[in-house]
Amino acid sequence: MPGFKLVMEPRDEVYLYDGSLAGFYCCVHTCVYDHAMPTAIQPQEEAQQSLLPSRRIPTNRDQALRVREAIIREVCPRALELCEHVFLSCMEKKELALLQFLRLSFAQGPQIAESYADPLVSPLLKAEKYLLREAHLLCGFIRFADHEGTLLATISPKNFVLPRLAPHFMDRYSQETLLIYDRTHRVVLLCTQSRWELLACETIDLPQYSQEELFYQALWSRFYQTIAIRERENPICRRNLLPMRYWENMVEMRDSLNSPQRLSPAAKGSSSLAHPAPAAIDSGQTP
Amino acid sequence: MDLMEKLTLLADSAKYDVACTSSGVDRPGGKGLGNAVAAGICHSFAADGRCISLLKVLLSNQCIYNCRYCVNRVSNDVPRAAFTPQELAEITLQFYRRNYIEGLFLSSGVLGSPDHTMELMIRALEILRHQHQFNGYIHAKAIPGASPALVEKLGLLADRMSINIELPSEDSLMRLAPNKTKEAILSPMDQVAKGMVENQRALTLYRHAPRFVPAGQSTQMIIGASPETDYQILRLASSLYRKYSLKRVFFSAYIPTASDTLLPALDTKPPLLREHRLYQADFLMRQYQFQAEEILSKDTPNFNPFLDPKCNWAVNHMDFFPVDVNKAPLEVLLRVPGIGPISARRIITARRSCALTLEGLKRLGVVLKRAQYFITVRGSTGLSPMGRERVVRALVDPKAIQFGMEQLSLFSPAPSIPAIEAGTPLEQALEEAVSCLVSNL
Repeated sequence: MPGFKLVMEPRDEVYLYDGSLAGFYCCVHTCVYDHAMPTAIQPQEEAQQSLLPSRRIPTNRDQALRVREAIIREVCPRALELCEHVFLSCMEKKELALLQFLRLSFAQGPQIAESYADPLVSPLLKAEKYLLREAHLLCGFIRFADHEGTLLATISPKNFVLPRLAPHFMDRYSQETLLIYDRTHRVVLLCTQSRWELLACETIDLPQYSQEELFYQALWSRFYQTIAIRERENPICRRNLLPMRYWENMVEMRDSLNSPQRLSPAAKGSSSLAHPAPAAIDSGQTP
Repeated sequence: MDLMEKLTLLADSAKYDVACTSSGVDRPGGKGLGNAVAAGICHSFAADGRCISLLKVLLSNQCIYNCRYCVNRVSNDVPRAAFTPQELAEITLQFYRRNYIEGLFLSSGVLGSPDHTMELMIRALEILRHQHQFNGYIHAKAIPGASPALVEKLGLLADRMSINIELPSEDSLMRLAPNKTKEAILSPMDQVAKGMVENQRALTLYRHAPRFVPAGQSTQMIIGASPETDYQILRLASSLYRKYSLKRVFFSAYIPTASDTLLPALDTKPPLLREHRLYQADFLMRQYQFQAEEILSKDTPNFNPFLDPKCNWAVNHMDFFPVDVNKAPLEVLLRVPGIGPISARRIITARRSCALTLEGLKRLGVVLKRAQYFITVRGSTGLSPMGRERVVRALVDPKAIQFGMEQLSLFSPAPSIPAIEAGTPLEQALEEAVSCLVSNL
């Protein structure tokens, strides 16, 4: 039953784990049994140099499962879902925030997941919302290109959205083979008719587009330009709804990215009325 | 004519159609291509900030009608084109595979006769749905005057259907769209509404009954081409929601495309701020439990350009406030400026575990800048009788400034609203507006 308070003494120690969710649950397990609240929990690869002593927490599948089940049993399934969402998000120091959340939730029980106004819970809900929102946006903003029957796409999201995207695109393109490359996290999602998997991948070489592919890209860009009503142009509104960091991976937005309106700082400095900016010349526009 | 030119022409003539939503139906992907998600997915945003979710095109921009406001009217000398149903299906499938779009939004000029046009549209949708097992979203426009059997057939292929009501009154319709009648527009709307009710009944009996317009129907009307007041428009929208259980009523600010003595001059700017206010009022009716009569009335038939309709209601009903956030029911919370449907529901959930504080409200997502004057939190309140000017200043809509002076001058002057002369500096205009609004309270 809810209501037991975990005793956790602050300790000047940094916990290092392997970066996986199971690894994180093992850190939680260690904290509970050692009655310790570490200064930081970090993935080994990203660990910062620190004056504090660090301790490696080995990943143990049974321990992780026990923590997972304890959250479902003692708190509620929604709290577990929140944990797993936040773990995929790009929130800073999410591991420590989650540990504090779990300590609080074992004391308070199921209502914790609905404490929207709580100073500990509210940032987690925001991080979760950010992840889910970015995943939802990318369901629309991803652009596939056909390479001999396989659909390829590149994304550069802030949150780790691939596990959220997989079921959506599996369902949508059930007869296709898909490959989505996450450039931020250097991971590839591979979907075939029956299953999906995530693979670490440093770089990816995309083959040349076929003539047909180029035709449909041009057709789509033309549609995009035609559908806007000139009398209603509203660049601020567009940027709010379609943030510029998504543009680089979208076929129809490449022209807008290279347009003379958006110069690099260097080009801006050197441009003058007499010498039009290089971007304007490159695009070959005639007045 | 090649495909590129055709698409350019037919997208260009379709761009004035407003709705590009892909919401309202959940359909898992089966053996074929695609699925549908009830929340809808936006795939891109055009330079005007409008969402692009569907491939919005006309089947043909040839039209036998002569609606005066329309670019495709028969008397307009523009290049004409038409897709064959096969071409249209192919483009849709290729775009859909690349995740450019969520589906197809198909409308058309009247090609020969309403029935002939509808038959072509139906053929295109049949190729998609039956030949290619396309499960994506389809929004189809019914052509006024088409036979009920064809409307029925179209409704079984599409997810959403819409019939444009075009103008906010029968009078304006007769003047500006002489070939369309109120009867020809409302009878298919009625048919679709009744068909949906019947389909619900059929679905409870047979799980696999074919689904008729599962995402509901919508309509749209042009604002600013005819002399109706905002109150008339809002009443019309509200009765449409009631009578035909529409999912949405869309408003489209009139953009002059033709020089005609019956229409606003060609250099008239589209009334974007007015359109924005209408949508705000529309949301109040659909999600905030407001009635049209509460938002506007016979005495104030037009919107206040400086205050959004909800704030306008609040400053005119100061006796309703303050509201105790720890006790008030949902419908009362929804009346507070700065509290929306999401934060109202969160308040109700979160206050079960502990009483809320001002900081807590902020974390919930309440906009305290506006809400603070209308609520009490644990007995203390921000509203003081001395501070009315401050309240109004905090509520003045920044959108009114963003849209610019031109838009403000498009509002018809009313006794409670200062007449703004073109050329007044913005800050000064806002100061005048604030002092005028305060003195009217």
